Amino acid sequence: MSSELERRLERLLAEAPEPDPGAGEEALHRALRALQPAASARRGIRTAVLVFAGTAVLLAIAAGSLSAAGALHVSFGSKEKPLPAVRQLVLPKGASGIAAIVDGRLSVAIKGGFRLQTAATAAALSPHALYIAAGIGHSLVAMAPNGRVAWTHPVRGRVVAIAWRPDGLQIAYLVRRGSRVALHVIYGNDKPGSDRTIDRSVRAIRPSWRADSLALAYVGAGGGAIVYDRFHQRRHLVPVNAPVTGVAFAPQGDALAVETGNGVWLARADGTQTVTTGAVEAFGWLDNRLAVVVPGEASALLRLFTAAGFPRGSSAVRGVALAVTPKLVVVRTAQSLVTGRTTLLSVPRRASVRDLQVG
Amino acid sequence: MLFRRYWRDAWRAAFAITGRRALADDIAADGFERAFAALGRFDERRPFGPWLHRIVANRALDVLRAERRLSDEELPDLPDLAPVHASGDRSLLAAVAELSLERRVVVVLRYGVGMTPAQIADVLDLPVGTVNSRLARGLEQLRESLEVEHVE
Repeated sequence: MSSELERRLERLLAEAPEPDPGAGEEALHRALRALQPAASARRGIRTAVLVFAGTAVLLAIAAGSLSAAGALHVSFGSKEKPLPAVRQLVLPKGASGIAAIVDGRLSVAIKGGFRLQTAATAAALSPHALYIAAGIGHSLVAMAPNGRVAWTHPVRGRVVAIAWRPDGLQIAYLVRRGSRVALHVIYGNDKPGSDRTIDRSVRAIRPSWRADSLALAYVGAGGGAIVYDRFHQRRHLVPVNAPVTGVAFAPQGDALAVETGNGVWLARADGTQTVTTGAVEAFGWLDNRLAVVVPGEASALLRLFTAAGFPRGSSAVRGVALAVTPKLVVVRTAQSLVTGRTTLLSVPRRASVRDLQVG
Repeated sequence: MLFRRYWRDAWRAAFAITGRRALADDIAADGFERAFAALGRFDERRPFGPWLHRIVANRALDVLRAERRLSDEELPDLPDLAPVHASGDRSLLAAVAELSLERRVVVVLRYGVGMTPAQIADVLDLPVGTVNSRLARGLEQLRESLEVEHVE
């Protein structure tokens, strides 16, 4: 009986699927990143051992093999440039957490000392930075501040944007599968069966929740800003005359800021109005004021508006504005992301930075 | 070459243990990352494959145990395997899914990855006797499950 059972088991388990090529590429990338700094640190000792003792250590085998495969070029004694990495990550005073994805790696620091660096495609801090949700591989992963994985939710594709509901009970996330991006909503505790598809075809732009958690704004496949009323399960299109590149609900009330290539609009229940025209570097809500950073001749200009659209002053911005967070405007200089005089992150000069959040 | 040679096996080991594609992607990638970062501690006189499998298997177990601890429930079945076996040995698949984590891991490493009991013992850092015992009990449980189903 046992031998027949064993044959059945072998047949059963032999039918396991093959890994996706995409997963392999990502894994190789991660593995090489892990290999490189270690190789640098040990190079002196290893070289001596290799040259004078002629011992073939595995590192040499690995490096040589990978080089032969065209994946990595390592030569002992040469000076390899270190791979990009966040060298400094500072939690601003009064903030509960900071997160950013730099060159595909998520860096997080949360009050209490938790720090994390991992490969990720998207990330979002929960309200009060109690948790972080991240797109890792083919999963949406929620992690507690102590680094423990609270849950892992498999997705068919890659998570490209995440937004926690202000009350923390749900997470909206975008999944890219091939050329199509879909909007989903899931409970913050990964309650079984709670994953719902809200729209099967949207643009890969982070959605935004209304302060009362009852509505979600996102950008439809046609480039229009759509507000989904969760309670009535209805959608309405915000009337703006250009493709939308960003949406952000105010932290209080129901005002929705809509960014297009032609400026920023403000949509409320009583109508939609233009607040700025022309190019926009960054926009968002700062202390319940709509903040729009526009390029200027000498320096960029930060313009503030009330939720009703009235101007409330402006000031110069030194550097390129990267993000407007609830308490800070984060500016990128040559190799740093700063707010005022405080350096939050030190990053390589050409590093791509996304999903920067201070909560 | 190291990566290309071992990626598929590492992934299949992770998949065999977790039964979930997404987890297998993450765990196998994480295993390589850890292995490459720790190459300096690797004893080059020993083969790379079992060492990598050990990292992957332990990572998979850690993740599954954490899930079980957090959800306070038994592990879910093997969802990504089910479609593969839509017309195949579903009763056996269901029986495998009902095994405890400790027994399931030993069974899938033996019959899914093709490891010997000694290799499994090395990977899981267990005595060979314990591996043999879990294998025997796992097979016994599977046989009982199939017999019950047959009677019903």
